[in-house]
Amino acid sequence: MQREVGSLPLAPALRARLAAAGFQTAQELLETGPCGLSKEIGISKEEALEALQVVRQECHGDAARTAEGLGATRKFTALELLEEEQAQGFIITFCSALDNILGGGVQLTKITEICGAPGVGKTQLCLQLAVDVQIPECFGGVAGEAVFIDTEGSFMIDRVVDIAAACVQHCQLIAEAQQEEDHLKALETFSLESILSHIYYFRCCDYIELLAQVYLLPEFLSEHSKVRLVVIDGIAFPFRHDFEDLSLRTRLLNGLAQQLIIAANDHKSAVVLTNQMTTRIGQSQSTLVPALGESWGHAATVRLVFHWDNSQRLATLYKSPSQKEATIPYHITPHGFRDVQPPAVTQGAEGTEMNPRKRPRREEEKQ
Amino acid sequence: MVVLRAGLCPGLTEEMIQLLRANGIRTVVDFVSSDLEDVAQKCSLSYKALVAVRRVLLAQFSAFPANGADLYEELKSSTAILPTGSPSLDRLLDSGLYTGEVTELMGAPGSGKTQVCLGIAASVSLGLKQHVLFLDSTGGFTASRLYQMLQAQTEDEEEQASFPGVEALQRIQVVRVFDIYEVLRALQDLRDRLSQQVVSSTGPLKIVVIDSVSAVIYPLLGGRQSEGLAIMMQLSRELKTLAREFSLAVVVTNQVTRDSSTGLLKPALGRSWSFVPSTRVLLESREATWGKGLTQRVASLAKSPRQPTGLQVELDIG
Repeated sequence: MQREVGSLPLAPALRARLAAAGFQTAQELLETGPCGLSKEIGISKEEALEALQVVRQECHGDAARTAEGLGATRKFTALELLEEEQAQGFIITFCSALDNILGGGVQLTKITEICGAPGVGKTQLCLQLAVDVQIPECFGGVAGEAVFIDTEGSFMIDRVVDIAAACVQHCQLIAEAQQEEDHLKALETFSLESILSHIYYFRCCDYIELLAQVYLLPEFLSEHSKVRLVVIDGIAFPFRHDFEDLSLRTRLLNGLAQQLIIAANDHKSAVVLTNQMTTRIGQSQSTLVPALGESWGHAATVRLVFHWDNSQRLATLYKSPSQKEATIPYHITPHGFRDVQPPAVTQGAEGTEMNPRKRPRREEEKQ
Repeated sequence: MVVLRAGLCPGLTEEMIQLLRANGIRTVVDFVSSDLEDVAQKCSLSYKALVAVRRVLLAQFSAFPANGADLYEELKSSTAILPTGSPSLDRLLDSGLYTGEVTELMGAPGSGKTQVCLGIAASVSLGLKQHVLFLDSTGGFTASRLYQMLQAQTEDEEEQASFPGVEALQRIQVVRVFDIYEVLRALQDLRDRLSQQVVSSTGPLKIVVIDSVSAVIYPLLGGRQSEGLAIMMQLSRELKTLAREFSLAVVVTNQVTRDSSTGLLKPALGRSWSFVPSTRVLLESREATWGKGLTQRVASLAKSPRQPTGLQVELDIG
C-alpha cells in the first residue's frame, strides 16, 4: 500500500504532475479519489479514473492473484521448481552426444541460442527440432507442436519432409522391436501429414514484422496450447542491415528477449534462436564471435556455437546454467541431424536416469 | 513533498488548509519554509496556532542526526556477514556479504554470475538456515543445479545421513519477474511482509538476490526518454533502503558492454548505476594455462569500501 508513486506504471507526464502536486504513495492517490485528483492536477475526470484503476490493479493485483492460484503469480520455492524441472521433458535432437552435453536435450522454458558460420547446420537443427518436438511421449518426446518464424527464407519444405519421414520410420522400427500397445496407438496419429500440419510457419521480412510477431506470440500460444517449441531462424538478419541507431537496436533486442522469456515461461515451451557470426578485430588477430553485440549474449540462457574443424562439424556449449562447457562432433545426413558414428550399444546410465521412457534408439542408428 | 492535509497534525483543520492553499502553500515544505508572520497576516490566522503546527510538522518530518558512536554500536549489533559458499570469494569480499549493503556481480555472458548466485543461495540456506529471496529475471534459475550444489556442500559437512536439502530448498523462494514493474512490486511485497513481521512464510530473511537487474532495465534506457533513468533510480533507492532498514544483504548481477571508444569491457547501466552498489566484483573466464586444459574463472574486485581494488582470486564453480 505504501507503494511510491514513482514506481507505478503510469505515463511519465502524469507522474511528473503527481510529483509536483506532492503525492508520494499510492495510498494517498487512492484516498483522494478521481474527482479530487482531477482537480488537483488539472486532468480530466476520465484520465484520473483510468490512472486510479491502474494504481488499484497494481496494489490489489497481488492479493487477487494469490486468490486465483499459483499460475498467475510467479512465486515458487526452490523445492517446487525442482519437482517441476524433473517432471519436464526435453526435446531430443537425435544426436545423442549433443543431447548429453545439453543435459538431455533442448530444455523447455529456456531460450537456447545457436550461433554459427553460414552453412554449418543451424537451420538443419531447427528443422530437426521442429519435427522432434512432435514425437509422442511413449517414444520419449514431449508431443508438442512447433512455431517456426523464418526471417531469412531458409525453410525448405522438402527437407522437412525428408527429416519427418526418417523420424516416423525410426519410431516405427522402435514400435516393431518393442511391440507395445501405446506405441502402436501413437503411431496411428504420428505420420508425415500430422507432423507437417503441426508446424506453424510465419515469414517475417524485416525487424518490425518480427517484433510484431513476437508481441502477438502470447495470444497465439494461448490459443494453441500444445505448442512446445518456438523457433526464430535468423534473429540477427533483420537487425544487422539497415540499422543506423545502435542504441535503439540494443533496446529493441533486449525488449524482444524479455518478451521471449515471458512466452517461454508462461507457456512451458522452448525458444530456439539462430544467430550469425561476425568478426571482431583484436590487437593481433581477428576472431569470430556471435553477432548482435555483447548485450545480446545475456539474452539467451543456453548458448551453442557451431563451427568447423577442417571438414568436421563441431558443436560447443558456451553457456548453460547447469551443464559444463564441452565440444562434440556432429553430422548432417540425408535423414537429418545425427551423431558422427553409431554410439556404443551399452545403455548409458544417464539415459535411463534422465527419462525412463527413452528407448534405446542406438541399435537402430545404422541407417 | 507531502501535501498538507487535515489531520496531519492536531491543530491543522480543513479551513486552515483551504486558506493556506489559496495563498499558494500546498505542501509541508512550503509551510515550513515560509515566513509565519506574513502568512498569519495574509490568511488571517492566529500566529500562535501556526507556530504550534510548524513545530509538530518539523518533529514529524525532519530527520534526526545520530551520534557516530551510537551508529557504530547499532551497526555492530545489526550487521551480519554472510558466507558466499566459496572461500576464495569470501576472501575477496572481506569475509563475505555484508548486510545493509548492495553487492554487484558483473561479467560477460557465460562467466558464471548465475552460478555464483546459486552458490550464495545454497550456502545461506543450508549453512545459516536462513531464508533467501531470489528474483529471477532471465529464466536462468535451474533448480536441479541448485540441488547439485546443495549436495556438494552437504558432503563437505558429512551430514549425508539426514540430508537437509529438502528444507534448504524450501527456504529459497524464487519469484520470476520479467519486467521492471514486477521487480518493484516484488520488492514492495517483501517490504510489506518484513514490516508486518509475518514470520510464518518468510522466516528470518537476510538476503535478496536479483539476477539480473540489467535485463529488466536495459529495454528502458537510452533514446530520448529519461523515464528509464528515473525508474532505475527508483529501483536503486528501493534496494538501498530495504538493505539498510531491514539489515538485508542485496546481491545484484549486471552485464558488461563494450566501450565504443576504447573497446574494453565495462559494466552496463552506465555511470548513474555505478554509485548504487558499494561493492563490485567482476567475473571473467580466462583461457587456462596449458597444463590444466580447463577455463579458469577469475573474480576481481572493482569497487569496495573495505578492500583495495584490483584483488583477484580464482573461483571454483563446482
